[in-house]
Order: sequence, then structure tokens, then C-alpha cells
Amino acid sequence: MRTRTCLLGLAFVSPALALLFAFFLMPVVLTTVFAFTNMSTSTGITGGSHVITGNLLRDLGNAGVDDDIVAALSEGSFSVTPETLAAAAEAGVEPRFLGEIESSLMGQSFEDARSFESALKALPSRPTRIRDIKLATEPFERSILNTRYSSRAAMETAIASMVPDAPVDTVSAIAEASYTGWRWIDGGNFQTLLDRPETIRIVLNTVFYVAATLAFNVFVGLFLAITTFYLPKTGAGFFSVLWLLPRITPVVLYAVMWKWFTWDNGFLYVIAEQLGLPAFNYMKGSVPTAWATIILVNGFVGASFGMILFSGALRAIPVQQLWASEVDGASRWQQIRRIILPQLRWPILFVTSYQTLSLLSSYEQIWLTTNGGPGSTTTVWALEAFNTALNNYTGNLEYGMGAAMALILVAVGLILSILYLRMFRFDELVNKPRIEF
Amino acid sequence: MQVTLKNFTKTFDDTTVIDSMNLAVNDGEMLALLGPSGCGKSTTLFAICGIHRINGGQILFGDRDVSDVPSQKRNVGVVFQNYALYPHLTVFENIAFPLSVRGDSKPDIEREVRAIAALTHIEELLARRPAQLSGGQQQRVALARALVRKPDVLLLDEPLANLDAKLRLEMRSEIRRIQLETGITAILVTHDQVEAMSMCDRIAIMNKGEILQIATPTDMYRAPVNKFVAGFLGNPPIVMLEGRTSGDGRFLVKEGTSLPLPARLAGMPGDTPLSLGVRPEHFGAAGANRVEGTISFVEPQGRETLFDVTLDDGVVLRSIQPARDDVVFGQKVVWPLDAEKLLAFDVSGRAV
Ligand SMILES: Nc1ncnc2c1ncn2[C@@H]1O[C@H](COP(=O)(O)OP(=O)(O)O)[C@@H](O)[C@H]1O
Ligand SMILES: [Mg+2]
Repeated sequence: MRTRTCLLGLAFVSPALALLFAFFLMPVVLTTVFAFTNMSTSTGITGGSHVITGNLLRDLGNAGVDDDIVAALSEGSFSVTPETLAAAAEAGVEPRFLGEIESSLMGQSFEDARSFESALKALPSRPTRIRDIKLATEPFERSILNTRYSSRAAMETAIASMVPDAPVDTVSAIAEASYTGWRWIDGGNFQTLLDRPETIRIVLNTVFYVAATLAFNVFVGLFLAITTFYLPKTGAGFFSVLWLLPRITPVVLYAVMWKWFTWDNGFLYVIAEQLGLPAFNYMKGSVPTAWATIILVNGFVGASFGMILFSGALRAIPVQQLWASEVDGASRWQQIRRIILPQLRWPILFVTSYQTLSLLSSYEQIWLTTNGGPGSTTTVWALEAFNTALNNYTGNLEYGMGAAMALILVAVGLILSILYLRMFRFDELVNKPRIEF
Repeated sequence: MQVTLKNFTKTFDDTTVIDSMNLAVNDGEMLALLGPSGCGKSTTLFAICGIHRINGGQILFGDRDVSDVPSQKRNVGVVFQNYALYPHLTVFENIAFPLSVRGDSKPDIEREVRAIAALTHIEELLARRPAQLSGGQQQRVALARALVRKPDVLLLDEPLANLDAKLRLEMRSEIRRIQLETGITAILVTHDQVEAMSMCDRIAIMNKGEILQIATPTDMYRAPVNKFVAGFLGNPPIVMLEGRTSGDGRFLVKEGTSLPLPARLAGMPGDTPLSLGVRPEHFGAAGANRVEGTISFVEPQGRETLFDVTLDDGVVLRSIQPARDDVVFGQKVVWPLDAEKLLAFDVSGRAV
């Protein structure tokens, strides 16, 4: 009976569990998995095959593989085998000629085209035209270069057949290097990030971006909430909606508005020109104005979020407390500083923590406005991860590296969340139980 | 400090809540603003402390017109109905608040807060936060905060409404004690006539934004100016009988019973419509007139017992007497009525 109810309960929550797994856990799990691979557009995300390319040969040569081996691998050879014969039949070589090749040359190999051609010329039913002879040699050519082998063993056999005297470990190393699919590279992505000189720059950009935008969010949010709070009721409603506009405007439209506002011949440009101030594309024209644009664009969205929360918290303060502070002699400023702000502590902490996390992982507005420029002066971690994994100009999207960057973001976010949660919990401990007598 | 309201008028949007009210509170006096809920007591109080701007008239503290002085500068102490303590501050910081916003020095604040905490008996609570206090303790803290800066006037808005019965009794005498010890002019807003009568020197009774009578509790109880006041004061309440004078010093209740009129009204011409008010303590105790009826309700209250007596024609009189259990439900009684103490009101409700 008990197990049955347990199972029934489990059955009822299983859709929720499935959703939880699919939408909350899977992304993190996948990110973690990807982060330790070298997945990219060229490796694909499914398995790969074994191919020796010109590039790979060059790399192998550079990596110290014997020049003779490299040269041997880059060359083709001609051999008469059942497979090549079949290929030749398919290619339309005349059957009698083919029969003669089979009977007289079966099992032979030729190092180059010339020796094979002269062997063919010796056969009675050879084609009369040289061009046809050349065409007939083609199906017999066996080159390892750019040939796909589905397994590593096949690749090793092929290499061994091309360079029979190569040492076994060289052969297996070359076969290993010829793999085109993704592979586990342990902490390789993280090591690369550590070694890259841009990394520190992007980290500093991110810290600056989050800190400045957060400060703007909280201070402007507080300012708006408090001024709206002291406004007469009718005006307050209007202003609340006004401040909400950045949040309810679709993000692309909002970004376009900012472009229009800051670009060449945009609103600011024209005004600055009229006033004789430097007029240029403020969004992309200089580092300080690019930063200012990004911080304002994101700042206003966050500020309206802060304002809503702060306004709610403000309205929750009983009006008698404000009256009491007034008759106690507190000026408006003292009332704000000593009665209102301390009671907004939790909303402020909440907005701070929530916004830190969402700013850390947000890149849309930056992408849509400065796109990290000028240069990469306003590129933040999330934008770089996005570009690496999903938006690369060269076309080679590095999923593995992007996932590694995202994973770092997730880790930082988790650590911050835990810190913030501890701060929230801490206060509950301080609030001792009420003593009634 | 004497507080005077002259033609004080207050409107919210289009509704006039108080129209041209006049009131004078003497220096050192504790005055109750008594009235039913919604009659404008709090509005008057908030106008005096400056939370509400007034729409007409004048408010004087002593000779000083404070009508346009912001509440910060009026130097009044207010105890709000829900105490309005600052939840994020300790009791000490709550009480110190009016001093610290004024910029007093630390040692001064420390001394003043300790002194007022001693007066209100909350010395051992100074480190706690409001959420850790019981209702009565919060009340004392609110009182301490209102008094700490030695205000000219102390205003209390229903200070006991949120307390349980026992605490209410205790705080009633505590507030009065503190008011007497400090000699501060105080205005107490309440809808509870017992509070008003037991705590205050004088009562201003209000209805619908208007002050009906200002008098000491005893005078007001004994000689209410109208039916409303008579009905508002007294627990159990007065019984009103509608009827007419007989012309020969008696009163004919419209159901038929004839009762004596007080001697001062004996000369009234016959057939004048009147309301006769009989307080429960004036029936069944003493008096020359006998009234016969049947006990229809008995309510023992410990020290006293309350009876309803139904007369032959259905008129019900109420009597309160020192506890007795010799009279039971359904019993016929003949009890005295003290005719000289009866209250009479004319058709407009005014006392005659
Ligand atoms: N801020 C306000 N806006 C509009 N009407 C109000 C306001 N405050 C009080 N009133 C009205 O004024 C009348 C008196 O209220 P109040 O002084 O609070 O009564 P009470 O005697 O119970 O303290 C009530 O009818 C109330 O509805
Ligand atoms: Mg009230």
C-alpha cells in the first residue's frame, strides 16, 4: 500500500522532474561535458572519421615526424587489386583491356604514374590514345591523402601499406592525429583561456560592466522609487509606467532606439553639433562613450526592475512610521536615510544579487549596440563566449571553448548565489524570536 | 502649553470632515476627544501635530499660530494607534530618534533616553527590537519616544485600542501617571467612554465632526447636553423612553406606563413630547417612586448584577445593583425609581 502511494506520487511529479531535468539540469550538464572537449564546427558534435590532409601532413612534419614518411604519405601509388579493378570497371575502362591487366599485373604496385603507364602500354589491347591510357590509370591510383577511413585500425593499415617500414608508434600517432571528430581534451580549453592575453582584459571589462551597471540599477532604481513615492498619486502612476518602458520594449527595438539616439546624425549627434560639442558616433566612436552607452542601455532596463521592487517595499512601510518620523523632527532627507533606506535593505540586496547574476550572463544589449567595440574594449565574458561558440566570423564555431567559458560563468554565478543566500539567511538568525508576556 | 483650535476646518477632496471646530485645551490638562469611529477625532489630532494641513481656521500653541508650521517644528509628541515604532531600530534607538535627528550629543541622548525609560519602566528592554516586545511594552516605548524630547503637547491616538483587557487597564493608569508626573498638556483620542472618563480631566465629545459638549467626566455624565451624549456615556447604557408630559408632573410613556418627572420639570405644560432617560443605577436602588415589573434578564457581573425589568405594558427598564442572587428570572419585583436623577430631552434631543 505504502509503496503504491509512493509510486503514484512519483508518477505525479515525474512530469515536473522531467521538465526540471530537461530545462534546468541538462543545459548545465551539456555545458560541462562540452567544456572538456574541442568540439567545433569542423569536428562536428557527433563522431568523426580518420583523414590525412595536407595541413595535417605539414603539422606532422613540423611536429618532427620523419620527412620521408611525410613525403611517402603525400604521394600516391598505383596498384592492381580486386578493389581497384572493380573501380576501373565502374569508371568504364574497356573490359578486354581490363581482363589483360588483371591476368598480367594482378597484385603489382607501381610507385608513380609513369612506370604504371609503361606497364600498361606493354599490354596488347591497350587503347591507342595516350589520353585514354592516362584515364585508365586513374582508378588504380591509391593515395592516403584526403581518403576517409571510418576506423583507426583501417587508417593504420593504410599508413602501413604506404610506408611499410615506418615504426609502429609513429603509425599510431599519425592515425591518432588524423581523427577529425571531437575529442576529450581535459582542461585544455581552460589552459588556453589562462594563456590567452585577452582573457584578463575581458575579465576586467566584465567586472567593470557588472559593477557600473549594477550601481546605476540600484541608485537610479532607488532614486526613481523614492521620488515617485513622494509624488502625488496621480502623477506617480504615470511615472511608474514611463520608467517601465525600457523593460517592456522588445530588446531589439530598444537597442535600435539607442542607435538612433547615439549614432552619426542621431539625436545626440545633432544636438552636440548645434552646441559646438564634439559630435561623433557615440556608440562606437570612443571607448568612454561606448561604455557609457552600454551602461545606460542596460542600466535603464535594470533600474526599472529595481524601481518596481523598491516601490513595492516602500508602500509596505506603514505610513504612520513616516508620520511618526516627521513629528519626531526628521527632515525629508533624514526620513529617507534613517527610516526608509534601512527598511529597503532586503530589496536592495535582492536586486543587487539578482542583477549581478543576470548582468554576468547578459550580452544581448551589448551585442546589439557596440558589439564589444571599439576593438574589443567593451567585450564582456558572456559576449565573448557567445561569439566563440555561436557567432564566429571565420565560421569555425568553437563549441567546446564556448562551453568552457560558459561553465566558468556558471561557476562564478553559483559561488555568488551561495554567498548571497548566506547573507539572506544570516538575517533570519539575527531576528530572535518574539518574547510575549 | 495651551492648545487652541479656532474655526478649524478640514476637508478631504470634496468631503468636509471637520467644519469650523473650536476647542481650547488648558495647560497641563489631559483632554479626551471622545466619539464614535469615523467622527473625525484622528483627523483633528493629525491637524494639531501637522501631519494634515488644515483647510481653514487656526491652530495656536500658547499664543503662537502654528497653522503653517511643519510638523517637524511643532514640538509635539504623538503616540499612534499601531505605535509606529521603527522596526529596524532597537528600543534605545527608537527612543533616541527624535534627539538624534535634532543633533543632540551622544551623552545627552544617553542620559535623556535612560531617564525617560525609567519613567516608563522599560529600562531592561532598551537593547531589544520592537518585534521582540509585547503590545504593552511597545506601547510604553511609543510613549517614551513621544515624550523624550519634552514636547509642548502629547497627542495619543487610541493608544489602548490594540491591547488586551488586562493590559488596557494597566496602561490606562500608567499613561495618566506619566502625564501627571510630566505635567504635559495631552490630548487623548478614544472611542471608549470608560477610557475617556477614567483618564482625563475633561472630555470633548464629538459626533460627525462636531464637538457637542466639553466638560469634566462627572459633569458630562450627570448633565449631558443632549440625547447623543447621554447615550454615549454610561455602561450599561441609559434607557430612553419616548412619551409625553401629563401636565401634572408625570410622564406618560407611549406604551401606557406613567412615571414621575423630576421636580424641576413638574411645571411643564401637558402633552409636550419628551424623551426620558433612565440610567440603570437610578432604578432599583433608592427613590420615592415604586415601579412594578417582572425580571426578564439577569446578568451577573461579579461585583454587580444587571437586571432587565419588563413593566406590564412591555416597557423595559434596566437596573444595576450590588451583586445579589435573591432575585431570579421571572420573579415579580417592586423597585424604587430615583425620579430626581432622570434625564429629559426635547424632540430635538436637547436636554431640558
Ligand atoms: N486621508 C483621507 N482621505 C479621505 N478621507 C479621509 C482621510 N482620512 C480620514 N478620512 C475620513 O474622515 C472621516 C474622519 O476620519 P477619522 O478622523 O480617521 O475618524 P476617527 O474619529 O475614527 O479617528 C472619516 O469619514 C474618514 O473616512
Ligand atoms: Mg481614528
